[in-house]
Amino acid sequence: MKNRLKVLRAERGWSQQDLADRLEVSRQSVNAIETGKYDPSLPLAFRIAEVFAMRIEEIFLKG
Amino acid sequence: MNANSAMRRVFTAGPAFWGLAMFVAMGAIVALRILGAIDAIVSVALMLVVGPAMIVPMMRAADRLAREKGCGSPAGRRYIMRMGASSAAYTVLLPVTLWCWEHFRPGTVVTVLLALAVVLPVFAMFGAVARYLAEETDEYLRHRTVSALLWGLGAVLVLGSLWGFLETFRLVPHVPGWAVVPVWAIGMGIGQLWMGAGKR
Repeated sequence: MKNRLKVLRAERGWSQQDLADRLEVSRQSVNAIETGKYDPSLPLAFRIAEVFAMRIEEIFLKG
Repeated sequence: MNANSAMRRVFTAGPAFWGLAMFVAMGAIVALRILGAIDAIVSVALMLVVGPAMIVPMMRAADRLAREKGCGSPAGRRYIMRMGASSAAYTVLLPVTLWCWEHFRPGTVVTVLLALAVVLPVFAMFGAVARYLAEETDEYLRHRTVSALLWGLGAVLVLGSLWGFLETFRLVPHVPGWAVVPVWAIGMGIGQLWMGAGKR
């Protein structure tokens, strides 16, 4: 699954560690999601959407 | 490179270095014992020194690496401590029980108790894994650990089956069943290294 995590993070000037701290996960988790190596669970996807104040489908894209 | 920086490099080496070093050292002790270069008591004494002496820096290196790579978590640190203690206990109890059995040839009940004693740290290792999976709140780290466990399980099943057939065909000598624990640990370690290299 593709996602816009890296772009959204860059727009806010957040490092991977900043986002990881906001999500209460490890920096490596953020990296794995960003690079498409790992698709987050629904609860984590909702947390990501909440942190960016966006809808899930605006962050995660099909394909 | 001077002696100080060489020593520093050794003591800041990764967990794979210490794991490999322990594997080589234990193999060398077993080989020397098989060749008759050292007697049973010396081989037990050497194993008692080598095991814990290498497990402690291996676990410290694992913790340091996890912090550096941003995949450290409180549950992960507790897991490393518990796994380190269990592994150290196993490396102490394994040569001691083997030596006791060889030296005293105890009766059935004591022999069963000896076997149970050396297996207790193995129970503790799986207990550490179960507690980690229950305590870890980071789902990606949990996923990685489960994947590494499958690598360990795969290594045991594939190598065990292959060795079993080769043994049936009388091509290789018999290997004791307790060899599954180091094979499992090595399989898990290779899995961690593979995933760490960015290849799931």
